[in-house]
Amino acid sequence: MVQTEAFVMLSAVLFILGAMGVLLRRNAILLFMSVELMLNAANLALVAFAKQWNQAEGHLFVFFVMAVAAAEVAIGLALIVAIFRTKQSINIDEMHKMEG
Amino acid sequence: MTEVILFIIVGGIAITAAVMMLLSENAVHSALFLIVNFACVAFLYLMLDAPFLAMMQIAVYAGAIMVLFLFVIMLLGAEKLTEPTKQFRWLAPLALALSAAFLLIAGVAITSGQIDLSSPNERPPMLRIVHAAPYAGPVDVYANGELLASNVTAGKSTDFHALAAGDTEIALNIAGTSTAAVTTTVSLPGDNTKQANGFTAIAYGGDASTPPQVALVQDNLETVPVRTARVSIFNGYPEAINLVDFGSETDPSDDKIIVGDIQPGATVELPPVNQDTSLRAWAFTSVNSAAENLSDLNVLARLNNPDVFTIKRDSAELMVVGAEQLLDGTLRAAVIPLVNDAVASFGGPSSIAQLLFTRYLLPFQLIAVLLLAAMVGAIVLTHKESFVPRRRDVRRKVAKPLTSAITDQVGHDVLTPDDRTPKLPEKQPEPSGD
Repeated sequence: MVQTEAFVMLSAVLFILGAMGVLLRRNAILLFMSVELMLNAANLALVAFAKQWNQAEGHLFVFFVMAVAAAEVAIGLALIVAIFRTKQSINIDEMHKMEG
Repeated sequence: MTEVILFIIVGGIAITAAVMMLLSENAVHSALFLIVNFACVAFLYLMLDAPFLAMMQIAVYAGAIMVLFLFVIMLLGAEKLTEPTKQFRWLAPLALALSAAFLLIAGVAITSGQIDLSSPNERPPMLRIVHAAPYAGPVDVYANGELLASNVTAGKSTDFHALAAGDTEIALNIAGTSTAAVTTTVSLPGDNTKQANGFTAIAYGGDASTPPQVALVQDNLETVPVRTARVSIFNGYPEAINLVDFGSETDPSDDKIIVGDIQPGATVELPPVNQDTSLRAWAFTSVNSAAENLSDLNVLARLNNPDVFTIKRDSAELMVVGAEQLLDGTLRAAVIPLVNDAVASFGGPSSIAQLLFTRYLLPFQLIAVLLLAAMVGAIVLTHKESFVPRRRDVRRKVAKPLTSAITDQVGHDVLTPDDRTPKLPEKQPEPSGD
């Protein structure tokens, strides 16, 4: 029987790795992957607590997070494609101006 | 112990994959490492009793979303597009310092027991009352002075009612009066491990002079093996009974006792019964050790009415063997079947679907609308042509000079380059006919 603390700790580590990816990598696609990693870490904590508290609502929220993540990826990747068309680059450091 | 080892191995792979995703230069490799990470998390979901989410994780995350990522990477040819810019030199050390600080704080908070991991909330007990006492007549059922059901006749039961955990006073009053036929106090515990915490109070026995007794049976409504039912039998008949399967009518050799010698007031749980089982040949009989053949036993009640006695799949059924009073005052055994759907297993698809389609229907629909909006948004964002208002289009067509309209019709340019007067092309001589 693995303690809930262990799962929450693992989830925190994964979350931090995702946050570091967002901060350190300059590739917009990798940025999005890191965001997915962070969402996933949050999901893991939700499922761990759902088991600890014996409540299926946690699973339901994970389900919703998955749906929102899918929507977010669809929009985000569409944005990346549109930006790549105009700028020929997906380096986020070059996207700091609000011009078309 | 095996579980801990598995957790360490799978968690280690998950962290390694995440680190490799951050470090790899090639975006395709990053995506593949992320898939490994997602698969590990799906495995952890399985360890946490969430099989449905584990499958969703594989299908939606590792499948659909990562395919989308890989597709966009290959579409843009963006595997190695980004060299680190020299613009934000301070960002990397700052990010590392902040991450280390967060991890330290979170680690201390988690390991020192700052997160609330107390035991889950108790489920309130649910109580239903079965009236199997033939002499008592119709009754009104009260629990702690509160009316649960009125005018319950013998052979009927109330629905489940959620009550507060603790001692509960059950009173069966003769219908429409405040005269108590029987009053008893039962102790109903809350439970924090089960998905459903059900109890059945059965009023049985008694005769014209003595009041009926009340027995409390804890219902086992937990998950049953698929396509089976869990059948329990409560004996409320004044004597011990057998449950016998008589098989075919004519052949005495296939008769067998399913459960023997159920004492009055006792509850017996049968092994899981398949949904295809026919109860037509089952019967409750009296117990007689002197009888040589099972067919010699005195049959008290047959379960041969398939409208009443069927095995419903994935259900928990309690059969209360009670008695009913005939017109001449004698007693006859009567069976009250109480069928309940078994509670969906924790983390399974049906338990999630039950929540999704009842209490969380509105969020579910909002999510659906959100996904639709995302779909439309993705199309609009990646649409190549710039938007041209249609009205301007029409006006430009109307304002077209007459000459160009003529050009459209004759197929030549009517404006000659030297003088700007329109001129029709000279008529070509008709080719002579043959």
